[in-house]
Amino acid sequence: MRRIAVVGGSIAAVTAASWLRVRGFEGTVTLLSAETEQPYTRVPLSKTVLSGEATDASTALPPLDDSVDVRLGTRAVSLNTRARRIVIDNGEPVPYDGLVIATGGRARRLSPPGMAGEKVLRTLADCAALREDLARAHSVLVIGAGLLGMEIASTCRTLGLQVTVVDRDPPLRRVLGPVLAQVITDAAREHGVVLRTVPGGVRLVGSRTLEGVDADGDFLTADVIVSAVGDVPAVDWLTGSGLRLDRGVVTDSRGRVANDIVAAGDAAVVRGVGRRPHWTNAVEQARVAADALLGEDVAGVALPSYFWTNQFGVEVKVAGEPAGLGEPDMVDVDGSSMLLRWSAGAAATVNHTVPVRKLRQLASAT
Amino acid sequence: MTVSIELIPGRCEGHAVCEAIAPEVFRVDDDGMVQLVPDSDHDDATALAAVRSCPVAALRATS
Repeated sequence: MRRIAVVGGSIAAVTAASWLRVRGFEGTVTLLSAETEQPYTRVPLSKTVLSGEATDASTALPPLDDSVDVRLGTRAVSLNTRARRIVIDNGEPVPYDGLVIATGGRARRLSPPGMAGEKVLRTLADCAALREDLARAHSVLVIGAGLLGMEIASTCRTLGLQVTVVDRDPPLRRVLGPVLAQVITDAAREHGVVLRTVPGGVRLVGSRTLEGVDADGDFLTADVIVSAVGDVPAVDWLTGSGLRLDRGVVTDSRGRVANDIVAAGDAAVVRGVGRRPHWTNAVEQARVAADALLGEDVAGVALPSYFWTNQFGVEVKVAGEPAGLGEPDMVDVDGSSMLLRWSAGAAATVNHTVPVRKLRQLASAT
Repeated sequence: MTVSIELIPGRCEGHAVCEAIAPEVFRVDDDGMVQLVPDSDHDDATALAAVRSCPVAALRATS
């Protein structure tokens, strides 16, 4: 294998490119990113970058070294696996011997094409546009009470905006389970956020421009309307490639998709496991996938997954996936700090300092 | 080693992604913040991969 192409520009792509060098691959590594910015972290976008406390530039990841050919503003539009060729948006073919698919996801939108007014937050450009809108606004309506939507709500409160969050489920319940979700929900209310649960879902109101939503007969609107309703794996360019797509490109536990093709990060759906669109997972999948591409038989990561959120003064760190596990078996409360454990394989902290290594070990201990 | 690594003050949130990649270079201590392992003997490429993996861009490498 002489030439490896990494398609994508975010953390899974950067990690895969880095890791190929760690493993001693000396051939050509080309990274094709559709975005025009150098690879950056999206993690602070909903928080300090949206509030203006941190600059856009502070999100830049330390650059890849010169041995990786980074091509920005270069969108892959199709893949021919038989000819081992990617075609990019200017029609140019990019040949490869090995391929890493790490195209991530894009924000899911609720409004139909042609309707303006629905803001989303996924990219640095989205963040800059939303920040500008918020600077002129008094109120914001957030559609979607998952991690991202609630983080946006928290930031908007620090900016002094009136904030309403609407979702068909109670806030954060699907991702954190009832106990952790309640802790943050209480904090959000104390911070003055109006939370609306509409089990039937909302209906968009507007024709050319989104004016608001119909929530069980109530019309909700605000100066800015932002949706945070999940992401869509960016695998459109793989349509017709013959690779198996199922809300993402399907991989085995080592990230393998087909001969000499691997995938990692938000674009990848692991057979039997599904998608885990979190930072830590993208990093770990990318390392395993790079190893697999080079034919190294390295086992996948044994520890439970890890993710976190920071909002309304509450810092939550989670190992494993507690959402489906109901009430924790152990809750250790000390003032506003908590340590929780589910014996089925999860652990979490709330405003509590435990090294993440130990938290993940606690989650996996039986 | 030819690469030297520093922490950008005030950014670390203790997510320990760097430690998972390069435990010989990074150690998250009991107060939850990353520390550089003194005089670590490490592979530069691995250390750089760890530096690039920080979700809050708290690490910097200079050579």
